[in-house]
Formats: sequence, C-alpha cells, structure tokens
Amino acid sequence: MTSSTKFESYFHVLRDVIRAMHSITNLQEVLDIVVTKTSGALDAKGALLRILNKETNQFEVRAACGLGERYLAKGPVTTETVLSTLSELDKVYIITDIWNAPRVEYPQATWDEGVRMMVDMPLAIDEPIGLIRIYFTEQREFSDDEVDFIKTVAMHCACVIERVQIMESQQSKFSHLAAQMDKLSSLGRMAAGIAHEINNPLAGILLYSSNLSKKVPPGGLLEEGLKIIVKETQRCKTIIQGLLEFARDRKPQRALVNINDIMESALGIVENEFHLRHVRVKKQLDKVVEKVYLDENQVEQVFINILLNALQAVEDKGIVTVQTVVDLEHKKIHIEISDNGCGISPDDMKRIFEPFFSTKANGTGLGLAVSYGIVENHHGDIHLFSEPGKGTRFIIEFPFLVDNSIGKGGA
Amino acid sequence: MKSLKVLVIDDESVICGACDLVLTEKGHTVDYCKTGKTGLIAIERGTYDVILLDMKLPDIDGMEVLKSVREKMPAPYMIVMTGYSTMSNAVQAMKLGAADYLSKPFTDDELIEAVEKACAQQ
Repeated sequence: MTSSTKFESYFHVLRDVIRAMHSITNLQEVLDIVVTKTSGALDAKGALLRILNKETNQFEVRAACGLGERYLAKGPVTTETVLSTLSELDKVYIITDIWNAPRVEYPQATWDEGVRMMVDMPLAIDEPIGLIRIYFTEQREFSDDEVDFIKTVAMHCACVIERVQIMESQQSKFSHLAAQMDKLSSLGRMAAGIAHEINNPLAGILLYSSNLSKKVPPGGLLEEGLKIIVKETQRCKTIIQGLLEFARDRKPQRALVNINDIMESALGIVENEFHLRHVRVKKQLDKVVEKVYLDENQVEQVFINILLNALQAVEDKGIVTVQTVVDLEHKKIHIEISDNGCGISPDDMKRIFEPFFSTKANGTGLGLAVSYGIVENHHGDIHLFSEPGKGTRFIIEFPFLVDNSIGKGGA
Repeated sequence: MKSLKVLVIDDESVICGACDLVLTEKGHTVDYCKTGKTGLIAIERGTYDVILLDMKLPDIDGMEVLKSVREKMPAPYMIVMTGYSTMSNAVQAMKLGAADYLSKPFTDDELIEAVEKACAQQ
C-alpha cells in the first residue's frame, strides 16, 4: 500500500468510527467497527477490545475479529498485570517478544494462533477504561502516522465508551428512583385502605376488652391480660393513624416563617427525652433571619423525626449537632442534623426512606418516609451521609419561595 | 345520670353489640340499625337522645344521614364514629351538625363520656 492510499484508509476508518459514534444506538456496533476497521487498516491478523468492568474489576472481551475460537476461549486476563503496565495511558505498547513480555498472559496459545507481534493501546479518559490489542502475523516497524492513527481511534473509542457508561448509569439511577417512588405511593394507598378496614375490628376488640377489664377480679391474671389487650389495641390505633397520616395527600400550608424558630420549637419538644439520656445538642443557627414560605408544622415534624432518630443512634452522653444556614446567593435554606452515633449500614441506607422500614424494635417505619414526602412537597432535597460507628448526617435544603403560590392548594 | 335513649347506626354487628353492652350497663337503652336507610326511618319514628353514626355505611354515606337528620326538629345529639380519623373529616361532620366525634377504635370510657356529654348539653 502506498503512503497516500494508507492515509486514505486511515481516514476512512476514522470516519466510520466517528459516524458510528454519533449515530449510536448501541455501544457494541461502535466496538465492532473499531476492531474490524482498525485491524483492516493496519493489515493486522485481528484485534481484541476489552473493557474494564468497574464492579468486578476485570477486563472483559467486548469485541474481537480475526482471532480463533480457541484463542478467544482462553480465560480472563489478570487485571493487575494490565493495569500495572498501563502507567502511561496515552502510550502505544509494541510487544515483539511474545514469550517473555509480562503483558502476554497466554504466550503458547498466542504463538499457536500464528501471532508474532502485538500492539496494545490503552483506552482511557484520565483513568483506564479498556484496552485494544492488535495482532500481527509477522514482526514489522510502525511509522509515526500508524501510531498516531491507533491513538486517535483509541481516543474516540474511549470517549464513546465513557459516554455510554455515564448514560447507562444515569438511566439505571433514574429507573431505580422511579421504581422507588412508585413503590412508595402504592404502599401508601394500600396502607390507607388496610388502615380503614382494620379500625372496625379493632373497635370491637377495644370496646369489649376495656369493658371486660373492669368486670374481672382486680389484680388477677385476667385483669392484667385484658389491660394488655387494651394497651396493644391502642398501639395499633397509633400505628394506623401514622399510616393514614403517611398516605394522606400532604399539601403544605405555607406561611412566612423563620427556620430557626421551627428548629427551636422542634428542639423544645424533644428536649426532655434528650435530657433524660444526657445527650447534648449543639446549636449553630444562622443569625441571618430570612423568612421563607414553609409549612411550619410539617417541617417541625421532619425535624422531630430526624432528631429522635439521632437520639436513638447515639450512646448516652452523645452529641447531636443542629445547624441552619441561610444561603442568600443560591436562595436556599440549608439545615443539617448530625450525630456521633452508631451510623447506618450501607444496606439499611438503601431502604431508609421506604415506608415500614425500621431498625427500631417499636418503630413504625414511617418517620423518615413521611419526612421524605414532606421535603419533596416543599420542593426541597434531603440527603443522608452515614458511616457505621461514626455517625449520621442529614442535610435538608429548602428553596426560598418568593410567594405563596406553590402548594397553596391545600389551604 | 339520666337514662338516655341511644341509636347506633353501624353495619358492623360487633360494634353495635359492644356499644349496646357498654351503654346498657350504664342504664341507657340502646337500639341499633345496620344501614343508613333503616337508621333514618328509626330516627323518624323514635325519639332518640343520642345517635351514634358510623360514617361508612353500606347504602348511604354517613354525611348524607347527617344532612337529613339536621332538618329534623328537635335535632338529636349526633356523635359521628369513623375509622378514617382525619381532621378534615371531623370538621366536615361538625359543620353538618354533629356534636361530637369518636375515632375508631375507642374504649368503653371514651364511648360513655361522649354519650353522656349529651346530658350536659341538653
């Protein structure tokens, strides 16, 4: 091939790769084009493209051409070996000594395949995401143009892979979130229906048991048993009220309020419980008084729920820190409630806002689910950071609302 | 305590029976109906001091019963019972003339207190 026709063929390969990149419906198509066209343009025997699976930390074959089944059936390559030799991510590695190169995992199989020389090009954007290996049946020299060509293809290919990976991860995050929301609302509806039906039988139980408990000999086992029935039935009532509260359409009744006042009021309500457990509250309330439209009662409920969770998480003499920050620049109110308690395990973290999920013996599993709904209805955000053994940090953000027009429907 | 004539309107036999037991023991007389329509007929015919009315009835809505009873003179003392204890429900029932509100489940004492408040009102 003359140098001008070679140049033309490189150009065609690049054009095909870029065209595929821009019209991608699936990544596989691009990868197949990259291996076949690159291998063809370089008069190679074949090529292999591996992508690093970040979850398993293994390089997985994603596209190949010109290589025998037996060679392809060889086991996975050692990730460590590949990564340790990828010190320069934009460098083309030319392997001439198949038998002694540390990068060659299966020299015998490679030799049997008729391969006498290989070229490795890392696929990387800041960090390695894959590798293209090109196989040749005889040793030869590579011109600067050829090396440039390989680098350019690799660069484009890496961009596509990264873009697709970002898209896929966003998509999976979104569908997870959508499924979560769906689950929340259907659970809520179901809860309301069940709650309603259960209150009738409970009414029978409570009326008869409370009435009977006065007719049995005082101080006996019968009286004790009946009183337990009365108490437990009343507990069911409380749980069901929580369920109904959760399922209710909570439209915020907004008014202009000062976030610090709400926090002080919430702290006042839980004060006694904190005092009993010798848990200290450190307050860092922003002095900037910017009144915002919030539903005072609902937001107070959120704070109480989180404060009580924090109290539950800390040992006696633990510390719970509350902080409010008025962010005038971003027009947001930022509230942080953190503790130095037991923290939340990663498994529990995933389910923490699910209704009925609780790690407390007597928990209804509705506190945080309700809180999540309230913050959502205020167009706010709730974030959670936790490390087992170190503590938990809840961050809530409410946007400033200039008027009371949003969420006024419930008023 | 004056003996009161009480009518319970609820489709659940257990609740009717329980209210009957608790109130009869306190010296009141209790009748009960299991539908809204029979309840309205009973109210029309009888002279009840207190009506215990369930909000969820098989034929007509408790709110409808309240509206019909409101026009009756003299209006009996209406206590609304419901398993769906939300504030807006209570407020709506009160607006329609209910005097009190019991959210299911309730204890015998709560029932007696609510019913006997009727005496104080009359």
